[in-house]
Amino acid sequence: MSRQQATGPVRPMNTVGHNVPRIDAYERVTGRATYTRDVRLPGMLYARVLRSPHPHARIRGIDVSRAEALPGVRAIITHETHQVVYGSGSIAGGRQYNDAAKDITKHRRYMFDNPVRFVGQPVAAVAAVNRHLAEAALELIEIAYEELPFVLDPEEALEPGAPPIWPEGNLALDYQNQPRPTGGRAGDPEAGFQAADQVFEDRYTTAFVQDAQMEPRCALAHWDGDKLTLYTPTQGISNCRHDNARDLGLDVHQVQVICKYMGGGFGDKNGSYYFDLIAAMLAKEADAPVLLELSRKDDWLGTHGRWHTVQDFKVGVKQDGTVTAIQLHAYSGMGPYLRRSGGISGTDAYACRNVERVIYPVHTNRMVSGNFRAPSDPQGYFAIQSMMDDIAYKLGMDPVDFALKNMRRPTEEDPFTSYTLEECIERGVELFDWERRRRPEPGSEPGPIKRGAGMAFMMFRSGVGPSSAIVRVDSEERYTLFVGVTDIGPGAKTTMALIAAEELDVQLSQVEVVWGDTDRCPYSVGESGSRTTTMTGYAVVEAARDLKTQIAERGMPQGDDVLIASATPTPSTEGRRRMVFGAHFVEVEADVLLGHVRVTKYVAVHESGRILNPLPAKDQIRGAVLQGVGQALHEDLLYDARNGQPLTAGYYGARHLTHLDAPEIEVTFIETDDGYGPYGAKTVGEAGIILAPAAVANAIFNAIGHRMKDLPITREKVLGTIV
Amino acid sequence: MEGQREKGTMSRSGDASRENERAGGGFTRRHFLEGTGAALVVAGAPKLRAVEVPDEGVFRQELGAVPRRAIRVTVNGTEHRMEVEDRWTLNELLRDHLGLTGSKIGCDRGECGACTVLLDGEPVYSCSTLAVWADGRAVLTVEGLERDGDVSSLQQAFMDHNAPQCGFCTPGQLMTATALLERNPRPTAEEVREAMVGNLCRCSNYNAIVEAVVAAAGTSKSGGAP
Repeated sequence: MSRQQATGPVRPMNTVGHNVPRIDAYERVTGRATYTRDVRLPGMLYARVLRSPHPHARIRGIDVSRAEALPGVRAIITHETHQVVYGSGSIAGGRQYNDAAKDITKHRRYMFDNPVRFVGQPVAAVAAVNRHLAEAALELIEIAYEELPFVLDPEEALEPGAPPIWPEGNLALDYQNQPRPTGGRAGDPEAGFQAADQVFEDRYTTAFVQDAQMEPRCALAHWDGDKLTLYTPTQGISNCRHDNARDLGLDVHQVQVICKYMGGGFGDKNGSYYFDLIAAMLAKEADAPVLLELSRKDDWLGTHGRWHTVQDFKVGVKQDGTVTAIQLHAYSGMGPYLRRSGGISGTDAYACRNVERVIYPVHTNRMVSGNFRAPSDPQGYFAIQSMMDDIAYKLGMDPVDFALKNMRRPTEEDPFTSYTLEECIERGVELFDWERRRRPEPGSEPGPIKRGAGMAFMMFRSGVGPSSAIVRVDSEERYTLFVGVTDIGPGAKTTMALIAAEELDVQLSQVEVVWGDTDRCPYSVGESGSRTTTMTGYAVVEAARDLKTQIAERGMPQGDDVLIASATPTPSTEGRRRMVFGAHFVEVEADVLLGHVRVTKYVAVHESGRILNPLPAKDQIRGAVLQGVGQALHEDLLYDARNGQPLTAGYYGARHLTHLDAPEIEVTFIETDDGYGPYGAKTVGEAGIILAPAAVANAIFNAIGHRMKDLPITREKVLGTIV
Repeated sequence: MEGQREKGTMSRSGDASRENERAGGGFTRRHFLEGTGAALVVAGAPKLRAVEVPDEGVFRQELGAVPRRAIRVTVNGTEHRMEVEDRWTLNELLRDHLGLTGSKIGCDRGECGACTVLLDGEPVYSCSTLAVWADGRAVLTVEGLERDGDVSSLQQAFMDHNAPQCGFCTPGQLMTATALLERNPRPTAEEVREAMVGNLCRCSNYNAIVEAVVAAAGTSKSGGAP
């Protein structure tokens, strides 16, 4: 890269850095924005999926004859008729699905599986001329199940004699197909504990949290000969196309993936999903376009959510508060398939290098776990930063002083492209008025309604990497930008247009964006890992630079001519760690007689490099914080231990935040330009959710004087502290 | 939180049970569909759900003779006379039969509010309102908010304040807020939150949505149903 690489203050720019409403804001407020379910194709059929009512069962027989006889039913498929590998649904080691993973993975998942391993797993699908008929047909499918023993708890699942979900046992397999925990050792943990003046041990747990995007998942499949066109809400059209082609045995160019407007992402949608395959198979079978719609409950139980965890921590400290060793032994509940890693983050934010992490990703007969916005972070940060907050108070220290003493800083061996964590914390202390709001003696406020303050801090990777962009200009100075992005909410289309307008030095209104269609757009990494701005955005910069050079050399195109430039840069940070930083400060009011907890002040300070468009960036943080508050106080998926039935599927059951539950979130960005990414921009989208559970829990401790160790911190748990 | 949710805008009666509150009627679709914990996760088809699966002949007979009736309904100022199946929801009528796909289905069971439209000026969940109930009444959807090619000041405020993130809940948020501004042209932020408690946003862009509604209320031609 030829950019200047010194960290410095941001230089003002023409288009970038100003509050700009989205280029598609009008479509979004008029009902003109077309989502996948809004697409209608001639002769389109409606499809529904029949799902397992059992947590673990073998299918002994399926009788579809009565359903088939229903007039208007056009296709019915089951595991008996269609054995299609659903590769991205279960991957050794939990990496991105690819050819190697397809070969290696022993715990392979199919579009329809037998045995079924969780309540909500697909067993059959019907396409019919309308959705009422499709639903009626489901009722007529008869399935003989042989119920099998099930297990819901990750620790129980690893005990001898637990019902085996796979022949190899219930510990998930790694990349080599070996049942091994993840994690690792650094430094000398034993020596670290020996050097400690005190050693603290504690257990923290976090609950399953559904991604729960507002748009229930769906897929519209249409075959033209042997070419499949798939309209599907995905965070990555490119991965989605490759995954589906791999599973259907098609050449990649035989699959076109189109993602229209998408009703929320929040993770693990940068790829294919089984409903893509089911829609494609039904459409083939029925010889007509098929729209498969998941109901809210189908979506809730049949997709994925953040893995729940049990985390046992052991931390050694010196009397002055210096952490000397950290040990984490943990279990992540993954459901019966390993869709993602089950990792747990948080220890990296500390300077202590004597660390042992042993994490067991465990199979259970609960629904499948996967990535949700910062996949391994909020649950990890909740546990370790609660643990450290507790230690700080036990040593009589201010948690801010404890953080400043122990947080990770750049070293000569481990350099960062920029580092602002200390500044984030100091700014937060000041904006929040930490000294005034925190109670040095937790729980000391008299009366049943108690206030208290808590904080947490973090760093999170902000990668750079390959992605592509194409930009074209015509004789009327209209610029068309082709980028393979989808717009799941943060506003990728607008960001890409802003970058192009900036680099080309033209008005934003001169830039049109073509997006969301694999047949029209070049490769993009997809909207996961908060990478679109940094990676695809940087490709836009390079393509625009190339176009400018062409214009300078050849002049603007005349008549019907156009000039076209493309770029696929592969930038690197030359071994330096590129991170975003943040510190959150929360005040809560806890009513220990009613159990109610209310957030009364929330200050979020973030450094995400240069902020390209402050208007949506602020809302990325505010929305993410509120999702984190939901994880802290509300959301869970409870199961009935007697029969393995999920009890709280849905917004109401999981007690999602409403307008009335949402406090105002104050966001401050510290801006830097480290010379990487487009104009120094770093990751934003996931960063905001990481700290809320930890900061809220620490504030509750400060208010009531009892450490809440299990998420969500519900009313009954707060009430339990006074018994 | 449960207590707060009972103030949902969809509620008409003050003393109905919590389940009934969210569905907007005496008898709830959600309760009906979910049944016991062991019931299957298949949504829809409530008529068929409640009975033992009949033999094929009975089934065919019933499907062949789905009750229908003629209704007259005004949608976004245009009167439609049409025959609808008794089982159609208002949302199906709008999306599938009138091509108005602006109103979304987020849950189809009265939990989320993405399907909110105005029925004679009052916000209702169109997923939990039968099409036949709209007979003789006026429906306003998000597609009907523009006047002579101009967006309403509420829509403009939603654009200016980044109120939509993914945008899927936006049509419902706009309709509830339109009704609110009609009856209370200058609501406080707290009044906005109370009125809109029945419209969920998983992007959790609640702060921006409230700011947009309050900002629209400060303008001269705020909101307003026809």
